[in-house]
Amino acid sequence: MKFSRRDLFIGGAGIAAGIVFTPVPWKLLGDTSIWTQNWPWIPQGAHGPVETKHSVCTLCAAGCGIRVRMAAGWPVGISGVATNPITKGALCPLGFAAQQLNWHPQRLREVRHGGRTASWAEAQAAFEKACGEGPVTIVDGRPGRAASSVLEAFAAKHAGDYRVLLDEETRALSPYAMWSGVSAAALGYDLENMQTIVSFGVPLLDGWGTPGRFTRLWSEKAAGAADPQLRLIQIEPGLSRTAARAWRWTAIHEGSGAALAAGLAQVLIQEHLVNGQGPAPPQMSLVDAAAQTGLSSDAIRELARTIVERRPVVAIAAGDEPAIAALNVVLGAVGTSGGIVLKSKPQGSQVQLEAGVGHRAMLLDSTVPWDFAPQTNAEVFRFAAWDGGNSKADWLLPSPGFAEELTDVPTASTSARETYAIAVNLVAQPGETKTAAQFLTNIDGTLPDVDKGIHARCEHLFESKAGTVHAEQATAVAKFESAAKMEEQLRQGAIWVGDPLKAGGLKCALKQWPAAANPAHAIDWTAAWQLPVFPPLAAKLYQESDLREAPGRRQA
Amino acid sequence: MSARYGMVIDLDRCTGCGACMVACAAENNVPPPHTRTTARTGITPMLVHKLSNGKEGADAREAFIPITCMQCGEETPCVSVCPQQAVQVDKETGIVMQMVQRCLGCRYCMTACPYHARYFNWWDPEWPAGMEKSLNPGVSVRMRGVVEKCNLCDARYHLALSKAAAAGKKEIDPADYVPACVEACPTGAIVFGNLTNANDPVAVAAHSPDSFRLLEQIGTEPKIHYKTKQNWIRAQADRNAVRSNSPEAQHV
Repeated sequence: MKFSRRDLFIGGAGIAAGIVFTPVPWKLLGDTSIWTQNWPWIPQGAHGPVETKHSVCTLCAAGCGIRVRMAAGWPVGISGVATNPITKGALCPLGFAAQQLNWHPQRLREVRHGGRTASWAEAQAAFEKACGEGPVTIVDGRPGRAASSVLEAFAAKHAGDYRVLLDEETRALSPYAMWSGVSAAALGYDLENMQTIVSFGVPLLDGWGTPGRFTRLWSEKAAGAADPQLRLIQIEPGLSRTAARAWRWTAIHEGSGAALAAGLAQVLIQEHLVNGQGPAPPQMSLVDAAAQTGLSSDAIRELARTIVERRPVVAIAAGDEPAIAALNVVLGAVGTSGGIVLKSKPQGSQVQLEAGVGHRAMLLDSTVPWDFAPQTNAEVFRFAAWDGGNSKADWLLPSPGFAEELTDVPTASTSARETYAIAVNLVAQPGETKTAAQFLTNIDGTLPDVDKGIHARCEHLFESKAGTVHAEQATAVAKFESAAKMEEQLRQGAIWVGDPLKAGGLKCALKQWPAAANPAHAIDWTAAWQLPVFPPLAAKLYQESDLREAPGRRQA
Repeated sequence: MSARYGMVIDLDRCTGCGACMVACAAENNVPPPHTRTTARTGITPMLVHKLSNGKEGADAREAFIPITCMQCGEETPCVSVCPQQAVQVDKETGIVMQMVQRCLGCRYCMTACPYHARYFNWWDPEWPAGMEKSLNPGVSVRMRGVVEKCNLCDARYHLALSKAAAAGKKEIDPADYVPACVEACPTGAIVFGNLTNANDPVAVAAHSPDSFRLLEQIGTEPKIHYKTKQNWIRAQADRNAVRSNSPEAQHV
């Protein structure tokens, strides 16, 4: 039998048809899809030894404990530290993607002057010239750090001014500071012992204070319960995230928090619901308070009775509204357990930055938030890790980014106890960056050193024999063999927590009901940080979902 | 004995902060969104939806519901429609696994998923220069054209297995396997564990009278349970699941 051309075609067609019924095409298809998943231009992470380190987040002043997974020396994953007694493992959403920030497209990597690239030498020469021509103002956004003492020392030695820019939470405590003579930085909220919280528009469940501290507390004592152990009464015009989850939400007109506080105080005093401490009753009548807030007089009466049903009760304000602080004095919530308490020994007030400073130059530390625009004609030197885009600074000076700087983290503003932690630089500080302290030390070599300042603070804590260091295990300071051992733990991410001070050390001398101040607007963590620089993954919250307004849209 | 990993999400504790979404994306190397990415085209293996009781004024209330792959235990819709066998239920863990290397991007599984918990990679994965150093080395980056979803941080499970093996143990320590969203939740609203272990907190919570599952009537036996004491949240949760599948709800 001859093999014909026709047989060849039939055989070929038969083989082709037969292959379809074998695994070959499917295997080829599978292999092709696997191959297309491994193209060389697909981004790959850094490969190398994986280790876990503990530190403290420095994105804001809250100082949350973080556990950082490192691969090949780079941070690749961040989570909270469950053994941290303040945050109990919680972080804000930004913290979970903070490792991306050092490669953010808006990372500042060069000195800029008037929109052009400049050098550190030029910046230093300009600052030295300014120092020679007149006094300079140095602004610190997070006072109390070892770096703060460098800034303060420079200002003192060069006839300049050291000024602090208080965060919103500390500013809310300033009326008590004014009436008691104790610095607002020495005050805090004893949240753990409160039974009723009257929040005047404060985003308590949205990152207020130390993210995690209140949310954990609310979760344990209030969430979902019809009659919770901790009653959260939210007073604000709109249904915010906190209002939506509060035990009770009372809607009032915008900016009428002071009027409501006065109305509540009227009822509390008239109906003898409080023990008569505090200032004289406010001049504002209940009817006027009702008209301003949009509530009825009966509703204010009922609210006043409700807030004192469960004590201790405290009112928390979004800003430095003295009427709300005065309400706390009437409620007896100042200097008592479950109220506004003294967290550290009384200290003198730090001088805040006032508007319109007419000095020759102003240096803004990288801890000053981007949304702060100084009202000044001075030449502004702004340190920043990211270029927020709306700076009015004459000089933009690149500073270390996330986990690139050794710094210490003093007590968070809302904390009820003194704390101290150290954030070590987990990655090397880039050569093109300098901290404000390093910049000033270059100019004046006699200034104190940050590393030595941290060491001295650790020795001081050790010698005081007070408080506890919380790492995997909690260890009383008195049980440490040496200051060096304690410092070693702190440099590995542990946190020192001071012993609680006895209640009653705080007295407010307030005779008259205070006049209302400008109403403060509540801020949440999205506004508190350096807008508009977010970790790219934070876009999940506003671009890939409708959870939040996009930062730009909200600002507008 | 094989495990059945699942979650119970307490909706009364969820504040809608979104930490779970960000932590999930960071853990699983989800790329930053393209400029044209929307809520419909984004990659959100964990997505928090807002629920409203529909009332006005002082009676208005809102709640939040995190939606993720429900890890269906029975008649898993995505498994049955996949022509590539790219979706399988892991026998050891009960996790519905998406093998992106096998995926052809036909998106049948997205159509079949009653919970709208699957996402298509519409764009090439791109990070700003240098940011790829922050990627999790334990999770591979997905290419454009494939579908992905929550796999309960399977990479963490394998790390826990390796750790157990190194210690000469056959079973993992439950503390070593915690998905990123569970770890991130600041209120502890998400409980995770083995549903077959009656003593596991997740099994206890799943059997509480307040717990329920989404679209329970379709019989997919999800391993993600929810919990609330408030009836309106429970009613809205199911409605939201149905609504999020409708084209009208997928606003671009």
